[in-house]
Amino acid sequence: MGNQKKLPAKGGPTRRKVLVTALTAGAGVAAARVLGMRNLGSDTINEALDPMTAAAGMDPMGTYGAGTMDDPDGSLGIPDDSFFGPQNLDGTVLPEQLRPAATLPPVAASPRTITAAAPGALQPPISGITAPRIAGDLDWVSPLGTQQAMVTHLLRRATFGYTDAELDRALSEGYKATVDRFVDTPFAEPPAYTVRPAATPRPKPTATPTPRPSGVAATATPAATLTAAATKTPAPSPSLAAPMTNNTPINIGNLQVWWVDWMTQSPTPFGEKMTLFWHGHFTSDYRKVGTNSPAIYWQNLTWRKMAMGDLKSMLMQVTPDLAMLRYLDLAVSTGRAPNENYARELMELFTLGVGNYTEDDVKAAAKALAGWRLPMRTEPTAQTGIFDPKRAYTGAVTFLGKTAMFDAAGVVDQILAQEATATFVTRELARYFVSPGVSDAYVARLADGFRRSRYDVRSLMRSIFMSPEFTAPDAYRALIKSPTEFMISSAKALGATNLSRTMTGYGSMLGQNLFDPPSVAGWGDNASWISSNTMLQRANYVSTILGQLRAVPSAAKAHERHLDSVLGAGTVQELNNARDDRSRWFAVFAAPEFQLK
Amino acid sequence: MGATDLTRLTRREFVKDGFVFAAGAAGLAAGYAAVPDVFARAVYAGKKDGVMNDRVLVMIQLAGGADGLQTVIPMNDSNLRNLRPTLSRAADTALPLGNSGQGLNRSMKGIKALYDQGKVAIMQGVGYPKPNFSHFDSIRIWETADPDRKQQDGWLGKTIASNYDSQGHPLVGCACGTSEVPGALRDLQATLSVVNGQNTFKFNGGDAERAMGVIYNGTPGIYGALFDTSVFSARDTIARLRTAQARYTPKATYNDNVNLVYSSRNQLASALQLAAQLIVSGVGAKILHVTLGGWDTHDQEFARHESLMGYVDTAVSAFHADLAAYGMADRVLVATWSEFGRRAQETGNAGTDRGTSAPMLLIGDTVKGGLYGETPSLNVGRDGNLKYGVDFRAVYQEILESHMKVDAREVISQRFERIPAVAV
Repeated sequence: MGNQKKLPAKGGPTRRKVLVTALTAGAGVAAARVLGMRNLGSDTINEALDPMTAAAGMDPMGTYGAGTMDDPDGSLGIPDDSFFGPQNLDGTVLPEQLRPAATLPPVAASPRTITAAAPGALQPPISGITAPRIAGDLDWVSPLGTQQAMVTHLLRRATFGYTDAELDRALSEGYKATVDRFVDTPFAEPPAYTVRPAATPRPKPTATPTPRPSGVAATATPAATLTAAATKTPAPSPSLAAPMTNNTPINIGNLQVWWVDWMTQSPTPFGEKMTLFWHGHFTSDYRKVGTNSPAIYWQNLTWRKMAMGDLKSMLMQVTPDLAMLRYLDLAVSTGRAPNENYARELMELFTLGVGNYTEDDVKAAAKALAGWRLPMRTEPTAQTGIFDPKRAYTGAVTFLGKTAMFDAAGVVDQILAQEATATFVTRELARYFVSPGVSDAYVARLADGFRRSRYDVRSLMRSIFMSPEFTAPDAYRALIKSPTEFMISSAKALGATNLSRTMTGYGSMLGQNLFDPPSVAGWGDNASWISSNTMLQRANYVSTILGQLRAVPSAAKAHERHLDSVLGAGTVQELNNARDDRSRWFAVFAAPEFQLK
Repeated sequence: MGATDLTRLTRREFVKDGFVFAAGAAGLAAGYAAVPDVFARAVYAGKKDGVMNDRVLVMIQLAGGADGLQTVIPMNDSNLRNLRPTLSRAADTALPLGNSGQGLNRSMKGIKALYDQGKVAIMQGVGYPKPNFSHFDSIRIWETADPDRKQQDGWLGKTIASNYDSQGHPLVGCACGTSEVPGALRDLQATLSVVNGQNTFKFNGGDAERAMGVIYNGTPGIYGALFDTSVFSARDTIARLRTAQARYTPKATYNDNVNLVYSSRNQLASALQLAAQLIVSGVGAKILHVTLGGWDTHDQEFARHESLMGYVDTAVSAFHADLAAYGMADRVLVATWSEFGRRAQETGNAGTDRGTSAPMLLIGDTVKGGLYGETPSLNVGRDGNLKYGVDFRAVYQEILESHMKVDAREVISQRFERIPAVAV
C-alpha cells in the first residue's frame, strides 16, 4: 500500500486551510468530544474531498464542534429527571403518594396465582378487563393464531409500532390487506431537510442544574428538549429553504431528528423500516463520511427510494453513492492503486457473504471498480460519484470465474450470477424481520423466489410477510427491538410526535446513534442491544418521555393493545401496582414484553 | 468470608445474598489497606484461577493523534529544528530524562517526578505496519488490536470476556466519564459499564428502580435470563456506586478547572477520580477506560499540546497520589494511547499533520521505569513520517501478561517479543 505514504502529503494545504477556518470559527475540536475525532476521514480521502469540504467551509471535526455548541442538541448529559419531577408537568401528575390508590382496575388477581396457573390459561376477567393470556414459565405463549395478534405482530415487525389510529385501521383491514398496503404503497418521501440557523438561541434549562457530564455528545436535557420542541420553526424562511448542494453543511443532530420525525409520522412507516434496514446493510458512518457533509443525507434519500427495487439497481446506486464512496474508500481507488475496501465489503457484507469469493476476487473487483471520484467544488449539485475513465483500470481481470473487461455493472452482474447472493441477502432480511433462527430450508425457499423474480425486493418482502414462518409460534417475540424501534414505538403508543430530540439524545446511550453504526457490518441485533447500561437507559427514556408529556392517554388497555395480553408474572404484578396512567405506561414500556417484537 | 469463599460463590448465592460487598462493610471502618475483602472483591470477578489478582488497568485515550515529538522530545537532535522551526523550542525547556538525550515536555512535571522514582516506562516509537492515516480507521485498529481491521471486538472487551465474570460484576470493565462504550471495551460477550458520572448512573424517577426489580423477575422467553440479569446488574451497579461513593474520599486534589488553550470538553480529572473511587472502594473494577480529546493539532500546536499534556500530567499525578495514599498504587497501571502520532515536519501553521508512531506512557508502581524501544530517527524520508519500532500489540501483550497476568493470546492474534517494562 505505497499510496498511503504518498498521498497524505498532497492533501496538505487545502486541508490546513480548512482547519484554520474551523478553528478560527471558535469551537473547533474543542467541542468535539472524543469520538468527534473519529469523524475525520483519512488524508487519502480528504484529498479527494477537499473541493467539497473546503467549499462548504466545513472541516468535519471543526464544524462538528461548532454545531454541537450552537445546536439545541448540543445540550449534553443524561436526562436526570423523574417523571414525577417538577418540570413541565401539569396538575394531573401528582407525586405518587398523593394519588388515590387503585384508580385503575387490576390486570389480574395476584402474581402468585398467575405463576401457578397453567401455561396459556386465561384468568377470569376482572373489572371488565380482558384477562391476560399469561406466559408459561419458560416461554411466551404465542397468540398468533388470532387475527388481532397477527396484525400487531406485523406492525411491530414491519413498522415502528403503532398509534391507536394505525392499529385500528390495520385491525379493520385485516392482516393480508395490511401486508398489501405496506408492500404496494410507494414510500412517502420525507419533507426536505432544511438547514436551520446555526445559532438558534437556547433558553437556559429551568430544571435543577446538574453537573454537566463530560464528553457526551448529543443528549438533550429534558427541559432543553421541551424548549427545542416548542420553539421548533414550523416553516423555514425562504432563504433557508434554498436547495441543498454538496456545499451546504448539515448538522448531524438535526438530521437525526429529521429522520426520527419521519419514522414517527410517515404515512408509510414500512418505508422507514426498510430504509433503516438498508442503512444497516449498506452502511455508512457520518464520522468517516464527514460530520457536516450532506452526503449522508443524500444516501438516506437514495436508500429510501431504492428500498423496494431490484438488487441490481440497488447495487448500482450503492456503488457510486457519495457517502459510500467515502466510507469504503472507493473514491480514492484508481486502476493504478486500487483500494480493496469497497470491493471486499461489497462481497463480504452486501451480497455474497464470507466463503463465497476468494482474495483474488477481491483484488480483481477492486481493479474493475476503480475510477469513481467525488464531485469537485465546481460540481456542487452532483449527488453521486463521477466515473472518470482516466482513473479506471483498463485491463481484463478474472472475477468470480469469468475473465473480461469489467465495469461496475459487470461486477454487479457477475455477483448476481452467483447462487450465494440471493441466499445471503434473503437470510439477512429474514433474520431482521422473522427470527434470528430462520431455517436453511426457509431461506432457500425465499431465496429461490428472489432469484426467479430477478431480485425483486418487493416480492421478497411480500413472500416473507405471507409465509407461515412469519407468524409461526417460534417467531413470536423472537426479536428484540432496536433502540430506535423501542423509542419510536413507545412514542407512537402515546400518540406523541414531539419527542424526536429526546429520542435522538437517548439513541447513543441505548446503542443506536443513527448514521453512526458501530462498524462496517452495520447495527447489531437482538441480544447485542441489551446490557445493564441499556436496560437502565431504556427505563430512563420511558421516565423521561412520560415526564415530558403534558398528558398521556389512558393506560387501561395498554397491555392488551401493546403487549398482546401475553404477560410475564413480574409485568402483571407491576401493572397492578401502578396506580395511575403514567405508572402503568411505565410498566408497559419498561417491561420485557415491550422490548420484544 | 475469605477471598476464596467469595470467588466460589455461585451466581444463585450471589443473587440471594444481595450485594456481596455488604459482607465486608464492618471491616472497612478500619481503613482500606487493612481490609482483606477489598482484595477479595477485586479478585472476585475472576473466571479462572490464574487471573485472580488485585491488578487494575486504566487506559487513557488521547484522541485525535497526540504528537509524540512534543511529548518525549529529542533535545539534542539538530534535525528537530529543521523539521520544526517553531515547535522545536519545546526542546529548550524540556525536562531531561537522565542522559538519554530525551526530555519530557515542560508541562509534565508530575510525570517527570514519577519517572525519576522509576514509575514511568516510556515506550518509544510505537505504531504498526502500513500506517493508516484515518483517525477513524486507526482508532479502530488500536481498539481491536488488529491492523487488518477484521476484528469487531475491542481488546479490553475481549480480555474481560475471556477472564472475568462481567455479567455478575458489571464494573469489571468500566468506561468513566463518557456515555458510550469505547470501542476498546466493546465485546458482545462482556457486560460493561459506562459511568458518565457518579450521579448519572441511576434510574430516573423515584419509583423506577423498584418497578424494574418487580418486572424483571423470572422473565420467560429465550432472552428472559439476559433481561433479568441485565436489570439485576444495573441495580447492582447502582448500589455499588453508592457504596463506592460512601467509602471513598479523595486524598489528592483533582482539578478540572484547567484553563485548556484547546478545550477538550473531556473532564479527565473527574473521570480519573471516578476511576480511583471504583478502585479504592473495592467494587470489582479491573479494566477502566478514560478519554481526553483535542489532540488533532494541525495548527498552532505549541501551546495547545502543552496545555493538554499539562492537564494529563496533573490528572494522572493526582490519580497516582490518591491511590498511593490509599496504599493501592502498587496494583494499578495507567497507560496512554493515541491512534497515531504526528508528522515530524511542522506545517505552515505551526502545527503538524497526522503521522505514524508515537510514545506510549506506562505509569504505575509495577512498572520498571525507563525508556524502551529505539528513539525514532528524525532522518525522515520525503513523507515526513517517523518509523515505528515497537508494535502497539507488543505493549498490549506486556500489559496483559505482566501486569494483569492474563493470557494475551486470547486477545492478540500474534505473538511479540517481550518488552519487559512491567515487573513480573
